[in-house]
Amino acid sequence: MSPTILTIYAMICPVVVAVVLFVLVRAFLGEWQKARAEGRTII
Amino acid sequence: MQLNSLGTPLILSLMLFFFGGTFLLSLTIGRKRENADNYMTAGNQVGFGISAASMTATWIWAASLYASATSGYTYGISGPIHYGLWGALMILFIYPFGRRIRSLAPEAHTLAEILHARHGRSSQLILAGSNVLGSLLSLTSNFIAGGALIAMLSPLSFSAGILMIATGVLLYTLWSGVRASILTDFIQVCAMLGAVVIIVPAVFFAAGGPEIFVSGAVNLTASQQDFFSSEAFFNQGAPYIAAVLAYAIGNQTIAQRLFAVREDKIKQTFVTATIGYGATVIGVGVMGVLALYLGIDPANGDTNNLIPQLASIYLGPVLLCVFFVMIIGSLASTADSDLAAMSSIVMTDIYGRNIAGEGDADPRKMLLIGRMTMIVASGAALFFASAQFNILELLVLVGAIWGALVFPVIASFYWSRVSNRAFTVSVLAALAAFFPVRFGWIALEGGVAVVTDILGVIGVGVIAGLMIFGFLGARAGIIGGVVVAAAVAPFAVGFLHLYPVLTASLLAYAVSMILCVALSFANDHHFDFDAIGRKTGSFDKVAS
Repeated sequence: MSPTILTIYAMICPVVVAVVLFVLVRAFLGEWQKARAEGRTII
Repeated sequence: MQLNSLGTPLILSLMLFFFGGTFLLSLTIGRKRENADNYMTAGNQVGFGISAASMTATWIWAASLYASATSGYTYGISGPIHYGLWGALMILFIYPFGRRIRSLAPEAHTLAEILHARHGRSSQLILAGSNVLGSLLSLTSNFIAGGALIAMLSPLSFSAGILMIATGVLLYTLWSGVRASILTDFIQVCAMLGAVVIIVPAVFFAAGGPEIFVSGAVNLTASQQDFFSSEAFFNQGAPYIAAVLAYAIGNQTIAQRLFAVREDKIKQTFVTATIGYGATVIGVGVMGVLALYLGIDPANGDTNNLIPQLASIYLGPVLLCVFFVMIIGSLASTADSDLAAMSSIVMTDIYGRNIAGEGDADPRKMLLIGRMTMIVASGAALFFASAQFNILELLVLVGAIWGALVFPVIASFYWSRVSNRAFTVSVLAALAAFFPVRFGWIALEGGVAVVTDILGVIGVGVIAGLMIFGFLGARAGIIGGVVVAAAVAPFAVGFLHLYPVLTASLLAYAVSMILCVALSFANDHHFDFDAIGRKTGSFDKVAS
């Protein structure tokens, strides 16, 4: 198997993880702001 | 090769930073008078961001990171996929069952509580007992992983390491239960995922980058270089599919998050956790593949040492600290979930639904029982960790118990004819079939091998059928299961018994399904599913 494909295989997961992390942080911040605006704890 | 390490003051500072931070975070949601229901379910209204983070963090534990790397080191480039992909897909496959369970019992606290409402005490206690055992072993395993890491990266002893981990986790989980567990999971998942984003590329490029795949290719066999290695599938992927479906269905830590999340956010939560888990675990597993290409031998012959070894060889002090926080985050997030799960089971299934009796449970006493459970469980896990039991072997056993439970549990939530007798007999018979095969008490040869192969094929059909059933309904599930079993049969009969671990798991699925279906057809009584919602639910409302 070519080194290029193997390199993509090795590096694709950290990229996907970064996207998931972004989605989670953005959702969390939204929920935190909403909870603050409503005067309650986030959970 | 030179191994970098972190000194005692730095390790202590990192532990203080990590556990101190999570403790302070848990204080922000602390209440002087906790509510017993919220202690177990966080009020059933947790949003998507926290729920998805918590589901991801709980499903990723230190052992899964180590095991994925081991799979990569053992089976080559397809190894991490055969660990991470199937584990991730199982989160997705249980999502439709999760929605059904929430619709039947919107205010339940544990899966066993629902089984109590559905069948009665024996079914409830089989599931509750297996959950407590599973969580205790998982807790022990996480303590061991933490202790071993601290001992490897610093002069501190293994015993000091497990004591620090246990104290840190208990500190922030004890007062607020699953609320603290879920909230702190968010911070822990950020640490874990953030570390994967940084550390995997850092190790890759520090070790030589793409050149590794050219110079190190001689270290791999043809099978290890094959993306579609059958050896990897039959030894790692297939047994794991069978085991993980069981873990996902039977595990109270997952069920607890299912009961906590807002009902309209269940799908988003499960899908995000699937992607997050898969990418993280496969990404870390690739480090095992890199170790294989680099020709690194695991320290002391233990493949669990591979990831810490790679980190200590190729990362400088700052990134080594990031790596340390990643592993501590992964084990702490699962350990706090295990504590919360065990406390909920003892509060609900032992005290609330059995000792106190219907409507008589005292929420304040429940909270005391829940907190005492966490303390006792931490002490027991410390004892087991100190004794260095073979925890992974025991976890396989728990997985088998859950494998025997999967079909009867799912059928009980959909099919009104499943009785307590059908449930209990089918589970116990499946376990009786599992153990002799799993531990080699009977030789798989001659007529026995033919029988186990045929049952194994049925087991494959059951797993496929359940997965299809969840998304497409009963008719599609039955047809799909039969088609898959028929397609597999010509290859599997005469072959499956060569893989006893896989055969044993498949036997558990097959035997439990056959008996559960047969005994249910013999039962003319139809259960009213609406009764589950009436029999499960709030302890605090009843008391107030």
